[in-house]
Amino acid sequence: MIAVAGIAALALFPILIPNPYYIHLAETILIYAILLFGLDIVVGYTGEVSLGHAGLFGIGSYTAGVLFFKMGVPFALAVPASIAVAAIFGALLALPALRVTGPYLAMVTLAFGTIIGILINEMTFLTEGPLGIKVPKPSFFAHKLNEVEYFYLVAVLMVLALIVVNRLLKSHFGRAFQALRASPVACDCMGVSVYRYKVFAFVFSAGLAGLAGSLYTYSEEYISPNTYNFELTILFLLAVIMGGRKTRSGPLVGAAIVVMLPSLLSDIELFRQIAYTAAAIGMVASLWLLAKKRKTIREVAVPLGATVAMAVFSYKLENIIDWRLTIFGLMTLFVVYYLQDGIIGFLRGLIDKIWPNALRKHDEYREKADEALAWEKADYLINASGDLLHANQVLMQFGGLKALNQVDLKIVKGTIHGLIGPNGSGKSTMMNVLTGIYKPTAGAVEFNGEVISNLTPSTIALGGIARTFQNVQLFGEMTATENVLVGLHHTFKSNVLDVMLNTKRYQAEEHHARIRAASILQFVGLADMANDEARNLPYGKQRLLEIGRALGLSPRLLLLDEPAAGLTAPDIKELVAIIRKIREHGITLILIEHHMDVVMSISDIVTVLDFGQKIAEGKPADIQSNRKVIEAYLGGDAGSEGHIKSPAMTPNPA
Amino acid sequence: MLTINNLYAGYGKVEVLHGISLEVPKGKVVTLIGSNGAGKTTTMRAICGMIKPKSGDVSLHGENVAGLDSHRIARAGLAHSPEGRRVFSTMSVRDNLTLGAFPRLTGARPKGDIKADLERSLELFPRLKERQEQLAGTLSGGEQQMLAMARALMMNPDVILLDEPSMGLAPILVEEVFRIIQQLKADGITMLLVEQFAAAALNVADYGYVMENGRISVHGAPDKLKNDPAVNEAYLGGVNKH
Repeated sequence: MIAVAGIAALALFPILIPNPYYIHLAETILIYAILLFGLDIVVGYTGEVSLGHAGLFGIGSYTAGVLFFKMGVPFALAVPASIAVAAIFGALLALPALRVTGPYLAMVTLAFGTIIGILINEMTFLTEGPLGIKVPKPSFFAHKLNEVEYFYLVAVLMVLALIVVNRLLKSHFGRAFQALRASPVACDCMGVSVYRYKVFAFVFSAGLAGLAGSLYTYSEEYISPNTYNFELTILFLLAVIMGGRKTRSGPLVGAAIVVMLPSLLSDIELFRQIAYTAAAIGMVASLWLLAKKRKTIREVAVPLGATVAMAVFSYKLENIIDWRLTIFGLMTLFVVYYLQDGIIGFLRGLIDKIWPNALRKHDEYREKADEALAWEKADYLINASGDLLHANQVLMQFGGLKALNQVDLKIVKGTIHGLIGPNGSGKSTMMNVLTGIYKPTAGAVEFNGEVISNLTPSTIALGGIARTFQNVQLFGEMTATENVLVGLHHTFKSNVLDVMLNTKRYQAEEHHARIRAASILQFVGLADMANDEARNLPYGKQRLLEIGRALGLSPRLLLLDEPAAGLTAPDIKELVAIIRKIREHGITLILIEHHMDVVMSISDIVTVLDFGQKIAEGKPADIQSNRKVIEAYLGGDAGSEGHIKSPAMTPNPA
Repeated sequence: MLTINNLYAGYGKVEVLHGISLEVPKGKVVTLIGSNGAGKTTTMRAICGMIKPKSGDVSLHGENVAGLDSHRIARAGLAHSPEGRRVFSTMSVRDNLTLGAFPRLTGARPKGDIKADLERSLELFPRLKERQEQLAGTLSGGEQQMLAMARALMMNPDVILLDEPSMGLAPILVEEVFRIIQQLKADGITMLLVEQFAAAALNVADYGYVMENGRISVHGAPDKLKNDPAVNEAYLGGVNKH
């Protein structure tokens, strides 16, 4: 419904407001919005700050401009060329993003943007330098588009970009982007290559910047280097953050604000009126909050003071142009401090408060969930025999410390293999070696007869080894369902085109994946929390969700790193039942755990590590009575049954 | 020493605690047990100021500290050893412990002999003593847990909140942690303890509260709770044979 209203508004705009100045302004908003959809992929989804998008925008503009100016290339070819060239530069920009993140990457992108600005200015043989390039509106079949016709062209392309970006971000691609932001390690271990998807996000984002840039060239009919400066890059970032990350409406709102802001600020009377209104609203809202005792005086003092100060400032102000950057700066500060989720995020929060279930996603898949569907039909898993995994003389050295010292480990198909040992004995290191996070200093790991110790974590994960983490590594801002869907990423064969065109193949895959995710959630007992964000689940449930996410990979070997840590006795019973069922489906398990009652009751074989060396291996009963193990790990006197069960439950000696 | 009266708290619009009242008398060990998601950790966080209570009182030696920032509550004498190994990972073990005594260095807490206390903490946790120059981030998970506990002690607090001190520890270390808690109890330190090993916690405690869905359902002396069939079945897993 909102979509129809939006399209109608776009179609009617030039008819209702025939003023060419406003049509051009609206056109600029649409062009910026295209770029911002792309910038949001990088900023909102993968969580990196890019200060290079003005540079990419400039590359798009100048590709179209130069192609026309030097060779007379028509619109229909120049625009795709701009997209392609910008995308190539996006890939270049992604390379440092694989090595550095956060503020360091922001610095790299800033340098990139600055260099592009200088190159455009200096490469006069190509770009005409500061003189700029003149480009007329595009022509189709000898008909030159006028301002209104070009507006419609831009509007259509914006709507297309919106649909494509929306589909992409709602698909497994969008989930991969979010996952690699939340926990790169877990993302790789779910078979989603952080490397691949980061590059992809930057390339796609840059392509949109290229499209926006080329449209901008034809819109302005004149381009010059000083447009693509640092101020523009800051405006783009401000627009995404102010509008609202991770939404499509956010960039639209943000684009409207940053395009109209300079015009607003050039009219001092209008600016004064806005400042007075803001101060009045601030005053009323603060008084209301104080009267209702929702906030204390201290909490409202700063925003109230700021709005009143703004009003006084606008009254005193005589020349507004000099103060423009200061006002941008203050607005950025305000948004970052008070509207962290942007305007759209803030509105959603309000709607959520008034109608708590209005935005809740449908549980349509819940009824279709069936525990049996949680498992991939895989007959090869059952009745298998022989070794599934063989770690051969693995040495893992960190500086002088041998975290694993020539450890041999054989895991028999279909067994639950307990791995115990004192804290710091190398159990978690072993997990990381088996899943490819660490490359062993010496020795090799064979899985199903193939050496895997030289493969990347995502390849190993796709080969059939899934894991959970000692310190829970869920994708916090994503719902429980989406977390499991990341685990199911490998079930998608659809490529970008399938997603963009929303083909049957993609729809079917998404449908199956969602049913299977609901089934998996039911299996681990989280059906009621399918729509909750992972970070809001209680600790014990988070551990179960990690197991569910790992099951999405349809692993042949599942590594559980302390699944019972922090669980109370009844939850542990539930967990043990789940582990048993997983084994019944033919999945081999390695279990690291400190709860001896769990390890000893369900393991077929137990290996004990101490100081990076294997000190014992055998049936649980033998391990429990092994002197070395008691000394190093179990503690107390000879391991009588009651004692082992829960050492901490010995009667109070005092 | 620490009295909580009708405490309501939660995250965003989700209310987790619906009116918790409990008391930790001076020199006593009180334990809070309940299933995962009952609100034990939330209670701890609301007491120490990591989240702001919606309403209710948290009074520390008679003074209401509810709603204050956590560093103020800490300076008032309440130390918190958080769940999940929050240590300063790029600092050495020794520096982590010294930083625990920060309120004493600034004069917010009585100074005493920090050096002697540091040595005493290291004696109490021999594992940490062996690794005192190592960076905290390179410790194993269980050792970080112990470091968080030792660091909380360094403040010389009036009350210490221990959230899951034995989580992720090898059985031999679980025993050790309970030995340490026993030792601290003998030294007269006031403690509020949340533990996955509910039975063990009841063994060391003077009084216990059982939490269910954000409310206190039963409370009483440890023996009474251990012999309560409902409590035994639900929280001790029916394995307690005492």
